[in-house]
Amino acid sequence: MEEIMTTSQGCESDMDCSDNECYEDYYNINDDSDIEQVDPRKVDPEYFEFKCLYEEEVDRLLNETVETLSNILHIPPSLAKVLLHGHQWNIEEVTRKYHDNPSNTLITSKIEPVTTHSNIIMGRYMCCPVCVMPHPVDKFHSLTCGHLFCRDCWTMHFEVQINQGISTGIACMARECDVLAPEDFVLRHLTRPNMREKYQQFSFQDHVKSHPELRFCPGPNCSIVVHGREIKAKRAICTQCKTTFCFKCGCDYHAPTDCQVIKKWLTKCADDSETANYISAHTKDCPKCHICIEKNGGCNHMQCYNCKHDFCWMCLGDWKSHGSEYYECSRYRENPNIAHESVHAQAREALKKYLHYYERWENHSKSLKLEEQTLGKLRSRINQKVMSGLGTWIDWQYLFTAANLLAKCRYTLQYTYPYAYYMDAGPRKELFEYQQAQLEAEIENLSWKIERAETTDRGDLENQMDIAEKRRTTLLKDFLDV
Amino acid sequence: MANIAAQRIKREFKEVIKSEEVAKCAIKVELVNDSYTELKGEIAGPPDTPYEGGTFVLEIKVPETYPFNPPKVRFMTKIWHPNISSVTGAICLDILKDQWAAAMTLRTVLLSLQALLSAAEPDDPQDAVVAKQYRENLEMFQITARHWTNVYAGGPHVNSDCDDKIRRLVDMGIEEHQARAALSSYNWDLERATEQLFS
Repeated sequence: MEEIMTTSQGCESDMDCSDNECYEDYYNINDDSDIEQVDPRKVDPEYFEFKCLYEEEVDRLLNETVETLSNILHIPPSLAKVLLHGHQWNIEEVTRKYHDNPSNTLITSKIEPVTTHSNIIMGRYMCCPVCVMPHPVDKFHSLTCGHLFCRDCWTMHFEVQINQGISTGIACMARECDVLAPEDFVLRHLTRPNMREKYQQFSFQDHVKSHPELRFCPGPNCSIVVHGREIKAKRAICTQCKTTFCFKCGCDYHAPTDCQVIKKWLTKCADDSETANYISAHTKDCPKCHICIEKNGGCNHMQCYNCKHDFCWMCLGDWKSHGSEYYECSRYRENPNIAHESVHAQAREALKKYLHYYERWENHSKSLKLEEQTLGKLRSRINQKVMSGLGTWIDWQYLFTAANLLAKCRYTLQYTYPYAYYMDAGPRKELFEYQQAQLEAEIENLSWKIERAETTDRGDLENQMDIAEKRRTTLLKDFLDV
Repeated sequence: MANIAAQRIKREFKEVIKSEEVAKCAIKVELVNDSYTELKGEIAGPPDTPYEGGTFVLEIKVPETYPFNPPKVRFMTKIWHPNISSVTGAICLDILKDQWAAAMTLRTVLLSLQALLSAAEPDDPQDAVVAKQYRENLEMFQITARHWTNVYAGGPHVNSDCDDKIRRLVDMGIEEHQARAALSSYNWDLERATEQLFS
């Protein structure tokens, strides 16, 4: 009976157990027949299997790998660890290399020396070449290379290296000898508890960094390590601090743009931002009545408070032309005669092209921030509504869901601009910009509707949410290539 | 100063003094203070190089953590070499950085520096201007390095052409070393050096 209790998660305490079992079965049958099992890998282009691990879990994972290799090759775990660290924790590769040529593998992994140093020991004392002091012979230790040094010098050597942040890469003290000191050898010589702790902390970091399936969460002061099954530029979300990042490069998530391109783009933006900032001012004039307008929300569908003219913040064109199925604002139109123009004109054109994409990139980034503020306003508006008897707090929750979805969509839209900037002209770019325009139009619609939601009637908004999300996934499905 | 460092330096000091290289006047070390934290080294310019006949003085600072960390070495004598800064005397040599091993000694450092003078590594430069000249105009590099050795390290080869050009700039009110550095950087092209100095 107790067994059943634990497997049927969260059953009501008052229920009879046999009843409970019946419900369970009833729901289970239902589950199987009703919900079609779809492979999320095929449906969701952003699908990514990962786990957030605590330090102990990572330790366990690494130790299991070390133990497996140590058993396969019949070598001590500390050596298995050095081998794995040098081979990106790829057991198959290490095993294959080791079986092909064991001694060569140990030499290239800096576990064994090319030639072993032989010592001629006479008498009970010898002089340590580092501290130049005589010590009893039994105080001397060496790595596999045979270079003997006294115990105290080894300890000092390790402490100096650890204080410089070196751990897995500490080599022998002899000249031109690069045999690495394995963990057990180092720990045997470290007596001070804080040094042992530092060493273990640094080598843990080294091991995680050398493991392609592991990545430290980039969140501030977060110690979570994300374990991804595949090494791809996919979105990982830390369960602890909620930081969202690209698993491959550890930077802000950037789909559909890939890691190299986003890096190039961000460097470019950092270099050129002064010019761009100067050019894209924070205010614009209404194209109809020329009153100065400051943008106070995330939506790019502007309505002048003075003359009620509807226009697009980005291109200052009439909003009506944007509402149709072909949203043109996101597309950059290249000057077709550019090849015949002067270098000067070409440079101006290049800047113009960059600014086109940069302004949109920057604008969506700003919109994202503004929409965060909108969320606050939303909360107070809902409070007012609830107080005046217009629905309950729960009735209004859908607005928050909508706002979250909006943020997600706008985020992807922002990252489509660097992608488009670096794309070669052609039908594929045309398709991309078409889809981008579609997404942009739906996002602006959604943003407009969220900012002006006055009723608990959620049908229209939910419909809009669905459309926006569909556009987003369609674009990612076609262009997210990781 | 840590015990090991002092012991080691004392021992190494003796090692250098007794070594056969000292007998051949190739290397030398002197104490600067009583605490063994700072030494003065000297190496002779190796034969068949532009540095031949010159004596190069080195500043050697011994860190607290010696010999677990390398000594800090810098050329006090001005020198024209791709791996040594012509301005500060800073040296780019692997054994003074990550390839240092605790079992190395001052003697090995001095001998390695001497070897560096014989065989420059322009792909790993400390002074970009010198390295560029070394790669693109080896003859000009050798003339310049020999002239610097003559002026700053007591080398025997006087180059009157170089001296004349420097004098012309000095007559215009430029400080001598500044004039030499500018001319050296511009392959002894007086016009371009002047342009750079007055721009």
